[in-house]
Amino acid sequence: MTKENAAIEIRLPDLGEVDDVRVVQWLCDVGATVAEDEDLVEVETEKTTFVVPSPAAGRLAQVAAAEGATVDRGGLLGRIEQLG
Amino acid sequence: MPDLLITVQHNPVITFGRSGSRQHLLASPSDLKREGIELFEVERGGDVTYHGPGQLVVYPIVDLREHGRDIRGFVRGLEGAVIAALADFGIEAERRTGYPGVWVSARKIASIGVYVSGWVTRHGLALNVAINPAHFALIRPCGLPVETVSICDLLGRTVLLDTVRDVLLERLAEWFGWELEISSLAEILGGASGETS
Repeated sequence: MTKENAAIEIRLPDLGEVDDVRVVQWLCDVGATVAEDEDLVEVETEKTTFVVPSPAAGRLAQVAAAEGATVDRGGLLGRIEQLG
Repeated sequence: MPDLLITVQHNPVITFGRSGSRQHLLASPSDLKREGIELFEVERGGDVTYHGPGQLVVYPIVDLREHGRDIRGFVRGLEGAVIAALADFGIEAERRTGYPGVWVSARKIASIGVYVSGWVTRHGLALNVAINPAHFALIRPCGLPVETVSICDLLGRTVLLDTVRDVLLERLAEWFGWELEISSLAEILGGASGETS
């Protein structure tokens, strides 16, 4: 098995007392190169729409929560593969 | 960039958030035209809402990185400041679990909706001081009948929007630890060096 580059998890921050957080729209596709802090995915509760920034520079390797999915507090949204 | 609070009254307008449905609009285009109400689709989440004269709208433009990246705290701060400001007028208001906004005995007196991108907030809150109930009757947010109420309804007397604004700004400053500097839009946009402040 080849050794993979470190994958950084994209986790949902704490948006409030509502546990029901919906993924509205991914702003880039799997495979795209992203910069640290670049807008990745829009999530929404009744009170807040939050654009989740990328935790690192790299490639969006995995989308764990698709558009329309519900995510728990601290839940996994996807993974960034750090390049080189 | 220092935090910025923009306070404004809107001309009558109905906005659709992304989950807004045209079925939640109970007026025809000619009704709207007659009442002078414009329609807009906007980027925020949430359903249809109305803004108009007699409603105090506050847009906080705040870098949450300076406030511990605390999104929950920011929303609670907006709610808490509205509740404290209403208490200053002798009105007991509360949050309701599952129902965004600020409520007085199951009637909605303020709506809260926040958009955060790049950790900077936009959109905030709208507090009913003396709204036109006929306009609010034209929409049905979330498809449910929601009774709205304003400060003047509850107090049975006229209260100036500017007075409410000043009280609310004080309560917001208290909550967020701000020292407020009041400017006009012209001053902010037209600084000699072209900087926004």
